[in-house]
Amino acid sequence: MTDKIPVTVLTGYLGAGKTTLLNRILTEDHGKRYAVIVNEFGEIGIDNDLVVGADEDVFEMNNGCVCCTVRGDLIRVVSGLMKRQRPGQPAFDAIIVETTGLADPGPVAQTFFVDADVQAKTQLDSVTALVDARHVMARLDDSKEAREQVAFADRIILNKTDLASEDELATVERRLRGLNPLAPITRAVRADVPLDQVLGLGGFDLERIRDLHPEFDTPGSGPAHGEPGHVHDEHCGHDHHGHEHGHDHGHHDHDGELDTLDSPSGARGHAHQDDIRGVSLSLDRPIDGARFTRWLDELLASKGQDILRAKGIIDVHGEDRRLVFQAVHMILEGDLQREWGDTERRWSRAVFIGRDLDEAALKAGFEACAA
Amino acid sequence: MTAFTFDAQPTAALFDRQGAVFALGDGSVRFASGERTEAHDGAVLCAAVHPSGDGIVTGGDDGKLVWTRRDAAAVLATVKGWVDAVAAAPGTGLIAFSSGRTASVLDVKDDLFRRDFAHERTVAALAFDPKGRRLAAATYGGAALWFARIESQKPTMMKWAGSHTAVAFAPDGRFLFTAMQDNQLHGWRLSDAKDMRMGGYPARIRDMSFLAKGRLMATSGAHGGVLWPLSGANGPMGQSAIEIGREGDDTVVTAVASSPAHGYLAAGLADGRVWLAEPAGDRLNWLSEDRGAPVVALSMNADASSVCWAREDGEAGVVDLQSAIA
Repeated sequence: MTDKIPVTVLTGYLGAGKTTLLNRILTEDHGKRYAVIVNEFGEIGIDNDLVVGADEDVFEMNNGCVCCTVRGDLIRVVSGLMKRQRPGQPAFDAIIVETTGLADPGPVAQTFFVDADVQAKTQLDSVTALVDARHVMARLDDSKEAREQVAFADRIILNKTDLASEDELATVERRLRGLNPLAPITRAVRADVPLDQVLGLGGFDLERIRDLHPEFDTPGSGPAHGEPGHVHDEHCGHDHHGHEHGHDHGHHDHDGELDTLDSPSGARGHAHQDDIRGVSLSLDRPIDGARFTRWLDELLASKGQDILRAKGIIDVHGEDRRLVFQAVHMILEGDLQREWGDTERRWSRAVFIGRDLDEAALKAGFEACAA
Repeated sequence: MTAFTFDAQPTAALFDRQGAVFALGDGSVRFASGERTEAHDGAVLCAAVHPSGDGIVTGGDDGKLVWTRRDAAAVLATVKGWVDAVAAAPGTGLIAFSSGRTASVLDVKDDLFRRDFAHERTVAALAFDPKGRRLAAATYGGAALWFARIESQKPTMMKWAGSHTAVAFAPDGRFLFTAMQDNQLHGWRLSDAKDMRMGGYPARIRDMSFLAKGRLMATSGAHGGVLWPLSGANGPMGQSAIEIGREGDDTVVTAVASSPAHGYLAAGLADGRVWLAEPAGDRLNWLSEDRGAPVVALSMNADASSVCWAREDGEAGVVDLQSAIA
């Protein structure tokens, strides 16, 4: 369908295992050719692949959008890489961007939506965050970047799980889910995850927003996802919010229910109160399309700086097709997707991941869009 | 017309004093006369005609700066990263190139001469002034002006917020122009640093070129070729641009070329076609009417007798203007 080269972004602080994962990607016998954009030329680089240095050159666009920062180095490097493309045949099967632990993933992602040249040649596939089981809690405490990287990700790889107990892992996973209810968490020991859990995820692809089952650790909703045994491991594959786990989603059944980690009545599994978290909204009544669009536009225009990611599937009143959307800060993409199935439950779901989100206002605004 | 089909993506199409030269994404330099050199192990990222007029100087993603002539090739410099931009000054025999945040100057007459100018942000493009004494580096936040031969100096910063991706001096040296990442131009009058914003473009501006004895500057980035008046004390300040050769909104001009001394403007389109026009005339002369991949490189030789172009899909051509217009 598209001949754009997919781009996968790897985030994670120093020591989380990015280099190990990169080396695995490059050395595995897959017959593919990757270009890897790294921050420093390190100990990677395999014959068939190209490793390029970049310098985290973040700049603001002059388009009046305050949060529209992009990575100038990526524009330059991607444009340069594209020159290697021969007529009719892609130069690379994929581009992998490795960021430093201090990198803000927002500008990296926005580069692929904002720059016309980059957008014409490449397509942001997904952002994977690596964290290591032993140090992640401390990093999340002291590093805003670490929290943002987790919150921004399409997939989280919880690495070095052999260095933590099952209890510790459960605590870590609960916190990761609080920061990011959308990204499946894959446990790994030496970044040993199947490549199809890192590449080709389609995290920004509207076509792939088929279902949303945010992984909330909702108090009082029975055996929650945060419990051991509900870890998303390699068996999840692409179907990363699959029903086969038998998750209890009963808590979505109430009209207009708001799921939140910070419900005052609920006991927290840990003492952390992160500034970033996911807020999940749902509504069982059809939504007024025009009103919803206006609300979403205004929300992103006013709060887009603090909203890292958003995704949703909306049941629009009078429309047989599902409205799907995804947003990165203020950049919004939406489309009418396939028709609702005859036996399918028609309901609207949206998840916002961001900083200091006002969940009550989000809920009220969302519900006010009811047709 | 002479047509070429290259099996790599073109980076540049230029005229040295003997004829057309193409530099490609496979690292090769190919002369229209048939000679071919594998100048780089990787892609050619930038190219300029050598100050001597013989052959071209290319920068590659292999970190090399290479001078390729029909019968010889020499590595002029090697850097750790990519060579992102190159410019040459025939008047002084200087060559400037950049890698990352550093712009460097070489002298073709003095192998030991080298200047390295550090910038706070990455250098995107370089240009010498018409006399070849000053060097402008387009970077984030404006353009840095350097005296090309002076070893230790602070640059004059021509400031304007945003990412500047191309740079050019007016032929009379009075104005400096940059193209920006977000589809606008910026200009400065060098005598007093008074600046002007030149906007309204629907697409990225990749090329700036000068014609009509330097009275006009042409740019790509619009549906037609955009012409800014440079005559008068204020240059384009307070003036409007005119657009020529606009057929509709279906395609945009991706490349322009002209010769400062002459009145022709050549334009390459995103749909692969190439036209030639005179600003005062009312018709387009199609140099290539075949539609296809976007034109990515275009040049006119100094006496405006010939135009060469290359498309992203490797299709390229050289055409004699006299026969094309007749």
